[in-house]
Amino acid sequence: MIVRWVCEKDNRKWIYPIKKCLYCGEPVKKQVGRKTKVIGLTKVNIPSPLHPITPYNIILLEDEFGNRMPKKTMKDYKIGDVYSIEKAKTDSAVIITKIKYDLGESLKESLNLLNSFDIEKQDKVLIKPCIIEPAYPYQTSNTSPKLLDEIIKMLKDMGVSDIIVGDQAMPGNDTTASAKKSGILDVCKKNDIPLVDLRKSQYIEKTEDGMKFSIAKEIMERKVINVPVMKTNSQLGVSGAMENMLRVVDENTQMEMFAVDIEKTLPKLIKALPKFVTIGDATIGMHAQGPTLLGEPAFMNMLFISKDPVALDSAFSEVGMLPTPEYIKEATGINEYDAYVKKLEIVGDELEAARYHLKVPDKTASAHPRIKLIDAKSNPLVFYTALKASSKLVGLPGHEINIAMGKFLTEEMVNGKKRIIAYGTDAINKLKELNITPIAEVPEDMGDIEKLTLLKSILENPDKKSVSVKDKMKSKLAGLGAKIKGAF
Amino acid sequence: MVSMKVYIKGVGMTKFGVDRKSSHERICEVIGECLKSTDMNFDDIDVIFASNSESERNEERQKHQGPMLSTLFQREMPILNVPAGCAGGGVALWNSINYLRSSDCKNIMVIGYDNIVSLTSEIITDEILMGSERICEQTEGLNFPAQNALVAQQYMMKYGATSDDLALIALKNHENAFDNPKAMFYKKKVTLDMIKKSPVVASPLRLFDCSISVNGAAAAIISKDPGNIEIIGSGMCTTSLSPIERKDMTSMSSTIKAAKTAYEQAGIKPEDLDIAELHDAFTPLELLSYEDLGFAKKGHGAELIRDGTTKINGSLPVNTSGGLKAKGHPISPTGLAQIYEISKQMKNECGKRQINKPKYGLAQNVGGVGTMAAVHILKNLN
Repeated sequence: MIVRWVCEKDNRKWIYPIKKCLYCGEPVKKQVGRKTKVIGLTKVNIPSPLHPITPYNIILLEDEFGNRMPKKTMKDYKIGDVYSIEKAKTDSAVIITKIKYDLGESLKESLNLLNSFDIEKQDKVLIKPCIIEPAYPYQTSNTSPKLLDEIIKMLKDMGVSDIIVGDQAMPGNDTTASAKKSGILDVCKKNDIPLVDLRKSQYIEKTEDGMKFSIAKEIMERKVINVPVMKTNSQLGVSGAMENMLRVVDENTQMEMFAVDIEKTLPKLIKALPKFVTIGDATIGMHAQGPTLLGEPAFMNMLFISKDPVALDSAFSEVGMLPTPEYIKEATGINEYDAYVKKLEIVGDELEAARYHLKVPDKTASAHPRIKLIDAKSNPLVFYTALKASSKLVGLPGHEINIAMGKFLTEEMVNGKKRIIAYGTDAINKLKELNITPIAEVPEDMGDIEKLTLLKSILENPDKKSVSVKDKMKSKLAGLGAKIKGAF
Repeated sequence: MVSMKVYIKGVGMTKFGVDRKSSHERICEVIGECLKSTDMNFDDIDVIFASNSESERNEERQKHQGPMLSTLFQREMPILNVPAGCAGGGVALWNSINYLRSSDCKNIMVIGYDNIVSLTSEIITDEILMGSERICEQTEGLNFPAQNALVAQQYMMKYGATSDDLALIALKNHENAFDNPKAMFYKKKVTLDMIKKSPVVASPLRLFDCSISVNGAAAAIISKDPGNIEIIGSGMCTTSLSPIERKDMTSMSSTIKAAKTAYEQAGIKPEDLDIAELHDAFTPLELLSYEDLGFAKKGHGAELIRDGTTKINGSLPVNTSGGLKAKGHPISPTGLAQIYEISKQMKNECGKRQINKPKYGLAQNVGGVGTMAAVHILKNLN
């Protein structure tokens, strides 16, 4: 498909949408060419950061209107060949689309490539974006409001009238405030669609493979369109189709899933949920220290679409050249991932031709260069509050401290590490069990100001071997002071 | 209508290579050479037009070129930065000519400088890639060698030129660079066999079809005061970012339009030219330029390289300096280095590669694959 915006009166064409011709002021028409053939080709042998794998081919396509477009491919074509994209054959197919300026057209075209979309106009639909924290759209923590708007527009065009948007922010963050800052609330208001905070939902219990899940009622009762931002995740490796559905269960279930082992329980949750379609938002995407504000925008300009979340996350992981996350391996079968990936049905842009070298997250990094994390599958409340705390200390001089988190801590993980802080009850108990004395203990219920005062004093004082009663009093008083100040 | 005569008073150029000099060092070097060839001193310069595109991203991390130059020159004066990618030098010169003609200033110095070879080759490829369209081209891997490859292929299919013709262009320019002490490939022997057997970069283009990235600087002083070399024509034109979007991929409308302006101002025709420095960032660009500049009819450009017309001893020597191909392509200085070569040829200062008393010379500086072009015509008044 080649799209152009044409002013017939002035005989001018644009490669991106222009509302009115700059010369005559008349509205321009969208011209969509679908009969494309190969009129030129080249094999490229030099790698670049955007295209790290060589050789690759570029074919030059021309449509029935004479419009041209280059296309990267690993397949060999000949001049004169007809270029077409076939529809998916299975439910597990992953559609990969490089967006060409027109997000709405790319979305529709991509969904048309699914073997079936499975949403009818009489269906009740829930769009499950990613709304994890208060962040602006450019920061890409949350789903692009533009994409959400296009999805709603498309559903309305199909005649679907019962649509809601639902999610819950990360533990510790307010969903509405996050939706507001991300622009998602505005999109909901504009389209007269309710935003549902799934944290306040009624929950339905479902057991899958021995694990009990309390799942938001709306998820069980509606057709779901999952719209995660495709990101790296410094804890899990990848945040995508599967991880985004973690926030359809209540917070207790989330904690329990981490307590048991998130890498094993996340695939079980996916099995427990009704079938859903995922529209993976890589309109920008995120890499490095995702999935929160510590990550960097990736400028991928792609969509990943599938009815199979495991296939979608696998495809994203492969495209991004990322180490395969354990939970994906768990879902595909621990020793079967390589064979699974080879058999993946990819439609649209080829996986090899879409490769985009994403920055792998450093699991030990926090926002402060001197604060290192030792994460042993800690729950989101512990993990993200630790990250947040490190963000608040950015810019302060200090000496290395190691924040140990999670109940899966081992001697090997903490071996050789000095100035360890046990962060969260799981870590406090585990370090006791391992006979390791941390410099300080920070339980979940410690107030934010108290926590920060304590961390700051340890960070700044290299001689501190343990936290004194005086330190504890000081941080408690700081916390109390903040509370009193807040009360007035 | 040209209202005022503009002369080239002095030119300067560093050796093009992969050294690690700072911008300050390069600029001092070219200014020194520039002033040495005139009876002027630095106080006589009223305005400076500078062109630079890489200092923001290399180790210098300098975005604010004007004040940076003011710090170096220890002078308070108008300094304008004219970044225009590979066409930076030519576009800066075009701007400075028009400014000189319309203002009361007398002397302008135009400087181009870049340290492009200070990053890994992958990053350099990526940096240069930013000169192309982002959504349809960059994301599809259409880097500049690939763009030129597709253009070359369309040309070959339409007009029957071959890779052998491109190899002859590369060979000619390497032969010329062999005798240019300021060229990257100075005294480096390159044979036709080496060219034809060099690795394929983007088919049908091979390594030796591509210019070489170098560091360097070049400068020129233009003036209203009469001198021995006059700029009699100056044209500039910009067109769409992507060559694929153009109706005819096998020609560069920006060059055609810039050349038309320059020829009209000069009052001469292509056949009057005695020398030309063309923008051979890739060999097919030189071939297309033969036609777009009117040296040959459409589809007949390859004949000029086959029959030796554009060789150093031919009737219209092209790229006697070695061109971008073998002298080197430092991005912003390139257009001014072309002016340097033509001026030196007109002054009879080119040693072994000196041609016979050129009267008219043309410099064509291109950005992208014909995205923009600056064409200047010089007249030797001696």
